[in-house]
Amino acid sequence: MSQRLNNLRARFRSGFPSLWLAVMLSACAAPSIRVEGTFPVPLVNAYPVTVGWVLDEALTTYVHREKLDKGGDWVIDVGGVQKAMFDSLSRGLFTSHAFLDEPRAAAPVRGIFVPTIQELQFSTPKQTRSDYFEVWIKYSFKLYDPDGTLRGEFPITAYGKANTQNYSMNTTTGALQEAANAACRDAIAFFTLQFKAIPTIQAWLRDNGLEAT
Amino acid sequence: MNRSRFALLVALVLTFPVLGGCVTARVEEIREGRTEMSGTDAIAVLGRRDRPSTNETEFDFVECVARNMGGTSGIPVVPDKVFRDTLFPWFEPRTAPVNTRDLPDLISHPAFVERLSGLGVKYIVWIEGSTRRTDSNGSMSCTASPAGAGCFGFLTWENNSQYEASIWDIHNGRAVGKVSSAAVGTSYMPALIVPVPIIARVKGSACSSLADQLKTFLTADS
Repeated sequence: MSQRLNNLRARFRSGFPSLWLAVMLSACAAPSIRVEGTFPVPLVNAYPVTVGWVLDEALTTYVHREKLDKGGDWVIDVGGVQKAMFDSLSRGLFTSHAFLDEPRAAAPVRGIFVPTIQELQFSTPKQTRSDYFEVWIKYSFKLYDPDGTLRGEFPITAYGKANTQNYSMNTTTGALQEAANAACRDAIAFFTLQFKAIPTIQAWLRDNGLEAT
Repeated sequence: MNRSRFALLVALVLTFPVLGGCVTARVEEIREGRTEMSGTDAIAVLGRRDRPSTNETEFDFVECVARNMGGTSGIPVVPDKVFRDTLFPWFEPRTAPVNTRDLPDLISHPAFVERLSGLGVKYIVWIEGSTRRTDSNGSMSCTASPAGAGCFGFLTWENNSQYEASIWDIHNGRAVGKVSSAAVGTSYMPALIVPVPIIARVKGSACSSLADQLKTFLTADS
């Protein structure tokens, strides 16, 4: 028994410096997060129309990098989840959709959306003196006719926040990831519910006989 | 460190879970309408995350209330995430109904009602509030080196939980009542080499008292 206790204490002493160093380094490191997963399909009446989406490489590989004063380098990767977002959005909002390589397509596609992320901003609890991480994503959507004519462009700003109180062990990474995820989810919700209030969309709906939907 | 001292420290560490500070909890109820639950009816327990409010209820508290209300002999509860995902995007922070005046619009959508019926949800329980540290005193210093580690000092802090649950009859589009739960308790942590936390389970107490009262509220007329 005594030998066992001595072994335990010896192990603790030999492993303690490296454990302490690891804890200190992990506490200092700025987080790098990647939004992943799937999104729910919006519960709305679908427009009886086929649309196309062009998700270019700049969007699908979008990574926000920012160096905060005394806060290290922060990395937020939202590019990998864009296809899943617009797939879920389209399955609820339109009867069918296709992902295209360019903003030009044959029937039955009647409109092509080209989203881009113009800006991503975030704030930490330390900056806002609150318990929350917050993320803003400013999208710009271009709408093309199937023949490649640009109809117009409109912005959508999505917002997400997450309470650090919900993430006791990995507060920074978990909460920031949840805030970014919430912003992506908000983008789908906002696009779905604001869709027919956007002037460019209203004109497109009218021209395609979809006003009353 | 001799063998008996080391054994004493191990005993102290093993004693942590049974030590607890004192908590005072209070529950109040306001009834605005009749409630009735049949065998197939379920409820959804949701945390408030509206804007522009800067506060939102902790996930673990919402889950705790849902867990305590459900269970083998409790009321069927649809978890927050399942409910929000199933009815997406109508219960997102940007879109969730703020009061019962917003419900008639929602329940006028046939697809919404159909999805809601699939979940079997009759009542929504909205939980607002949070647990805050209201006071703290004392100090503790810890040192660590390859030769060993230890702490010395005394800490004390007071936590205050304030939660309110609003119960909505989603099919009739009206509020049927409110249940509030408040709890306050002081935790202590003396440290003589090893810190010994004596934690007051303030949030847990507010959760269990709120869940018990909600169960009584919803099944009282059944």
